Amino acid sequence: MRISRKISLAAAAAAILTAGGVAVAQNRTTNPVHDVPAASANGNLVVGLCDGKTTAEVPGVKPGQTLTPKQAQDVSDRLMNDWKAKNPGANWDDAPKVAQNAPPPPARPAPPEGPVASNGGKQEAHTYGSYTKRDEEIWKASTDAFIEQGRQIFHDAGRLGGTIGVSCDMCHPNAANTHPETYPKYQVQLGRVAMLRDMINWCIENPVRGKPLADDDPKLKAMEAYILAQRKGVALEYGKH
Amino acid sequence: MAIKGVKSVETKYMEEREALFKSISQLGRRDFVKAAGISAAVVASKGLMHPHSFQLVDIAKAETANGGSGAGGFTFAYISDTHLYKKTLNDRFIRSILRAVDDVNALNPQPDFVFFGGDLAQLGAKEELDLGAQILKGVKAPVKMMVGEHDWFLDMGQHWQQLFGAPSYSFDHKGVHFVVLMSVNEKDFWTQRGFTPEQRMQTVAGLDNGTQSRFEVGDAGRQWLKNDLDKVDANTPVVVFSHSPLYKYYRDWNFWTEDADQVQAILSKFATCTVIHGHTHQMLSNRIGNINFHGMLSTAWPWPYAPTGLPKLTVQMNRSDPFDNLDGCGDGRFNVLRGGTVDQIYSLWDRNPVTVRASYLASNGTSDAPAATKLVSY
Amino acid sequence: MRIRTKELLQDALKWALPLALLTSAACAGRDPASPPPPPPPDQPNAPTAVSTTPSTGVGDVNPAPNHPTAKVPSDLPIGVSPVLYAISVAPGQEPTPEQVKLGDKLFDDVRLSADNTVACKTCHDPARGFVDHEVTSIGIGKKHGQRNAPTVLNAMFNATQFWDGRAATLEDQAKLPILNPVEMGMKSGDEVVAKLAAIPEYRKAFLDVYGREVNYEDVGRAIAAFERTQFSGNAPFDRFIMGDDKAIDAQAKRGWALFNGKGRCNECHAGNAVNPLFSDQKFHNIGVAAKTSNFADLAREAQGAVDRGNQEEIDRLALESKFTNLGRFLVSKRHNDIGAFKTPTLRNIAVTAPYMHDGSFATLYDVIDHYNKGGIVNPYLDGGMQRLGLTEPEIDDLVHFLGTLTSERYDAYGKTEMARMNGKKGQRPERDTLVATGKKGDTGDVGPTPDAKIKDPSSDGVYGVFDAAKK
Repeated sequence: MRISRKISLAAAAAAILTAGGVAVAQNRTTNPVHDVPAASANGNLVVGLCDGKTTAEVPGVKPGQTLTPKQAQDVSDRLMNDWKAKNPGANWDDAPKVAQNAPPPPARPAPPEGPVASNGGKQEAHTYGSYTKRDEEIWKASTDAFIEQGRQIFHDAGRLGGTIGVSCDMCHPNAANTHPETYPKYQVQLGRVAMLRDMINWCIENPVRGKPLADDDPKLKAMEAYILAQRKGVALEYGKH
Repeated sequence: MAIKGVKSVETKYMEEREALFKSISQLGRRDFVKAAGISAAVVASKGLMHPHSFQLVDIAKAETANGGSGAGGFTFAYISDTHLYKKTLNDRFIRSILRAVDDVNALNPQPDFVFFGGDLAQLGAKEELDLGAQILKGVKAPVKMMVGEHDWFLDMGQHWQQLFGAPSYSFDHKGVHFVVLMSVNEKDFWTQRGFTPEQRMQTVAGLDNGTQSRFEVGDAGRQWLKNDLDKVDANTPVVVFSHSPLYKYYRDWNFWTEDADQVQAILSKFATCTVIHGHTHQMLSNRIGNINFHGMLSTAWPWPYAPTGLPKLTVQMNRSDPFDNLDGCGDGRFNVLRGGTVDQIYSLWDRNPVTVRASYLASNGTSDAPAATKLVSY
Repeated sequence: MRIRTKELLQDALKWALPLALLTSAACAGRDPASPPPPPPPDQPNAPTAVSTTPSTGVGDVNPAPNHPTAKVPSDLPIGVSPVLYAISVAPGQEPTPEQVKLGDKLFDDVRLSADNTVACKTCHDPARGFVDHEVTSIGIGKKHGQRNAPTVLNAMFNATQFWDGRAATLEDQAKLPILNPVEMGMKSGDEVVAKLAAIPEYRKAFLDVYGREVNYEDVGRAIAAFERTQFSGNAPFDRFIMGDDKAIDAQAKRGWALFNGKGRCNECHAGNAVNPLFSDQKFHNIGVAAKTSNFADLAREAQGAVDRGNQEEIDRLALESKFTNLGRFLVSKRHNDIGAFKTPTLRNIAVTAPYMHDGSFATLYDVIDHYNKGGIVNPYLDGGMQRLGLTEPEIDDLVHFLGTLTSERYDAYGKTEMARMNGKKGQRPERDTLVATGKKGDTGDVGPTPDAKIKDPSSDGVYGVFDAAKK
């Protein structure tokens, strides 16, 4: 067989969103599922956008068939155009920007204190157009709670599964010297490119003498959250040594 | 080619070490004496030393005879921050302190004494402190002890003092006045929170929590220091040992002594004054007024450099390699030069040794700079 | 399903290198058939010089972007990295067929030695993996040298040459054994030149190739040119890492996981698709030298010589047998290089026995046994050395894995050698299970055993290429 390599990023993204290909959602029952009809009335494939609402059909393609790169790009463009038409003025970056080269975003105006009936003509009604201070507080508290879980595990040899009383903070107070902003990078001692979680697991196995965590283990995610949170404001610099 | 019937140095060493380990693992009151005997045998056995611990002549050359007479002209070694757990839980840190003991025993010429820089234990437990005391009996030279917060906050220093005596004391050696100053007192943060002794110890044992108080010498400690130094002539060289750095480096991690300024004021009358501290587990140098400050290495693990407050004169040690258990750890020596100034030799395991000279600090970094780091911490 | 290996590999290569080398912004969404988009001008690793990298194979990307690079042959086999080629061969060093032919001839010619008995080939026999299988090599008059002959295969990718790295280039390396009294024994470069110039075919060949009379530099250049054709890839492991899951068997995969895990081999012998040399090209003291010498005294004596700053004395020490064990120290004069030797490549390791700088390990079992007990403790033992606690089946897995690093060219010979070593499995002079398992001594913590239930490290795509066909 041949490796399918003619697929562009946009097409890959679109493919994930086809009715039969909601790969991430299938594996995570806790995630919301965007129900898209398998086919339109005339039997064409229907593709859904990540807002959970916008759909488009691909003429001439039946469910189960693979899109050509051109078809995939076309349907992606159409979906995005529809979404942008429905959401004029949304803060959509037309071109992907490399984070470290982007100028700092302009300060956002403070969100309203609470729900308002009329917002002076500003568009609303999608997630990022209608949030309030209350929402922000909830989001922050949720994020901080997750980070706090990570902090606790980071400081607790027992919860890390360590067997010799060594915990992360013993060498990395405040996650110092963990450099999450430098991943991915070539990790000399592993002889390959590593992500932060590879090194967390390496540390769990070696200095901590525990069992490595699965890539989707919540403890691993929480520790990533804690470590990243300690480096707020530090520029991403992948590959740095 | 191995010659049959003749044991190599390594084999002989391994066998004796094995016996020591065995004794330690079975350590009970009755076995204590027996283990001590074997330990002494290991170090004394016909010049046999841990092959790890061999040090080259060039760094063993004491640069102490550089002219003049009077105070100084000797060397002492140090071991610090060994953070021992019970052997059943963690033998890695035990291997490390044993290596350090072998290192100092292998020094030729032998140091006048070996200073222990505090944090012998990890959680202040009796069996941790006993184990450490036991291992340190293997040191050939006289050992001077200092307490660290990890030794103290389980029973507020009770067992440590039983083993080693008062936490603050002074002595004179070859014209130099040495002071060992208890600097890791903390204001009560535990009573109000209803902490058990274990919770109190666990809290102090971490760096990055806001719960504990800052280290301090305290009113009584400063008064004791004042009284001790009142008797000492201002031209006598003084060396002060403290577990925490006697200056303000990074508050959040207690790389810090809250009343450092007042302590420095007490020391300021001396023409030649050196402060040597543990706790920070890294190459760390500073000069404030005419006081030189030197941090000692840990045998257990290196701490990262703090995000702010690093003294300008500090030459950082290269970032340590986590794949090497011993990297960034080590022990070292201090050469007390004629006149009483002090050079520090960092014996970083598996690396080239680094010397931080008194002249480097006194010249405010303009001369005798140690080798720079290749990879600074960030 | 049957995988069409060759096509697959070519595809994989095209993908592997952009993945490894390009910034994500530059490669995302790019169809490899279309020309690469110009990199943004502010990207720090954007190419700044025009390269002569070919457009085929992996040449879609510029492997060494910040300086002009050698022309990378378009037909490098898998396992021979174009990136490494561009790093290792300086522009203008690309061997020409004429240079190679002359170098090959010189390589095989005993007349380069004082008594016409020893050629380069004597110790670096192409039929035997470019080694001699001697413990230490035998020169003129049956004199034994101090070191084991390293293979010429892939030597072009070494950062330095010789066990102690004392030659920076293949050219420098090639000239030294000819003049070494216990190897080929010629008295001087001039003597070599005079001898060759008196042979008409050589005089003509040098004139043809270099346009000048025979000189010693060109002797080195010609041999180096030949050696630059001795890259060697296309091992079963290469096919595996490039996506052919069936190229190595389950035991070898277990060995690969151990190699990167509990065995800690990758700390110095890291291998991946971009850098498949399996050597960090650094110098480490693993204690081999401490086996046979009173290391501490030796080091003390040598340090004394270094302290006295007497170069002549140091050189003499380097040639004297008992000091040879000081290794890199005599080159670098650095305290922590005492007893350190260069990490050799593991490619074709099955056909290059015996092992280590002194050839003191007869089989790969001996090598693993040595590492398993944490090496031989000595004052300068590399800090990464610690006991491994490998079980006997795990040792088998590792050895078996090492057998997959043999190039196609030595496939049959590799099998013979592996069988030979397997036959010596009962003789294990280096084995010390008590130390390896921590029941005796104190040579460190035991590493974790890879847990395939959580994650099978042998299938970790980041060493090579991600490939749906693997599943």
